[in-house]
Amino acid sequence: MSILQEIKNRVRSKSIHVTFVDVGSCNGCDIEVLACLAPRYDIEQYGIYVHNNPREADVLLVMGAITPQWTDKLRDLWDKIPEPKAAIAVGNCPISGCVFARRHMYIEPPVEKYIPIAAQVPGCPPRPTEILNAILSLAPTLFKDYEEKQR
Amino acid sequence: MKKTVDVSIPIGPVHPCWKEPIRIKCETAGERVRRAEVELGYMKKGIERIMRGRPWQEVMFLAERVCGICSVIHNMVFIEAMEAISGITVPPRAAYLRVIVNELDRIASHLIANFSYCYTIEHETLAMYLLNVREVVLDNLERITGSRINTAYMIPGGVRFDLSEEDAAALLADLATVEAEMRRYVKMFETGPLIGLRSRGIGILTQEAAIEAHAVGPTARASGIPECDQRLRHPTYRELGFAPVSRTEGDNFARVMVRFDEVFQSIGLIRACIDRLPDGPVRGGGDCGPGEIVYRGEAPRGELAYCIRSDEYGRILDISIRTPSIMNIEACSHYMVRDVTSLADVTSTFISADPCIACTER
Repeated sequence: MSILQEIKNRVRSKSIHVTFVDVGSCNGCDIEVLACLAPRYDIEQYGIYVHNNPREADVLLVMGAITPQWTDKLRDLWDKIPEPKAAIAVGNCPISGCVFARRHMYIEPPVEKYIPIAAQVPGCPPRPTEILNAILSLAPTLFKDYEEKQR
Repeated sequence: MKKTVDVSIPIGPVHPCWKEPIRIKCETAGERVRRAEVELGYMKKGIERIMRGRPWQEVMFLAERVCGICSVIHNMVFIEAMEAISGITVPPRAAYLRVIVNELDRIASHLIANFSYCYTIEHETLAMYLLNVREVVLDNLERITGSRINTAYMIPGGVRFDLSEEDAAALLADLATVEAEMRRYVKMFETGPLIGLRSRGIGILTQEAAIEAHAVGPTARASGIPECDQRLRHPTYRELGFAPVSRTEGDNFARVMVRFDEVFQSIGLIRACIDRLPDGPVRGGGDCGPGEIVYRGEAPRGELAYCIRSDEYGRILDISIRTPSIMNIEACSHYMVRDVTSLADVTSTFISADPCIACTER
């Protein structure tokens, strides 16, 4: 392994940029992601920076059952994120549709039909610590040796 | 013909300032906003269509997931509407416990609304302070109901769990810390000169405009309409001697301050509830029957109305929900952001009305 790759591995595990997109959730998961920002959980002390610009992001948090408006737009958003990238489904909605997956629904779950999902955090809504745990355990292993693997 | 509109600027649907997808189209002349239009439809899940024909046991959990921020009030209004249809009476202890949980949820909701506002005007320190206080409130909500967000605490004829002596004592102790911290933060907000420049006199909604636009909740109360508070018509709140807070300025500052004042008011209401908490059972039971009703309650964002028709087995034949945010979003787009002097104030004005897109579109 080259020395450059080693430096990149180390840096990538300490600086993860996260963006989130709400594709039709009930707001419960949104505010649990927001709660991660609170000084109690303090997402930034692990080197995770939350902002809403997909062009700078490494990790995309997807919340909510997919509504028809988002079926094509989510793919566009995913394409804007530079490589290496990963998507995490937060909550039951992107996994199965949760309570909304019934007869007469408008939504079209699961989210895996539209973008590749690397990890899923079940719960309605999951606790902030679980979301934090998912990002922290997924991102360093997924981004490790990215350039070496590309070769 | 004189040209009045230079360019139409879209804000959203994915925007750093709001957490939910919504698009505002601003028609601007220079930096001044002439007209704004809100485009909805990114979050429509069709909850009311799913609810139809289902038993109340299922609709209860669906109603809670209309909105994740104010889930307790959706639960409360649906359950109280079903009780009013079927003639179920609630034990007095359960009625007081409902008010305690509802007010805790209101504090959490108001804190996250003011967090969003402070975050939008880039006062991140105050925003993080408020978010940290909210965690203490959610801890108490979890201790009483067992869950942080979707609590499902109320059922026809009472509540699920009793409040033990230790939990009540812990709640009172936490409320004391919340109140002490909040006094400091409210002073920070009131006296901050830069906050004043970004908030005072911006996005004014006059009393006439608020009545015309049918504004509800803290938005209307900041414009001098205290009567719009539905808690005035709730029997338990009336016993507690509830009196709504209101302001007359109608700008962004007033809307945020009304929410801060309501946090203190909610703390007072919870203390009064614990003082008066009578002994007795918390679950009475009862069967849900047929009937039709329009039931209103005061959500953190304003008046929430459920129109329900059920059959003799307690199945929901027809339901329609009117959530508060839709009125405030329209008031915002037609009155508040019109003639705002800078495009930078559009986002903060919109956030100050505390829009909840999830419950607007359901």
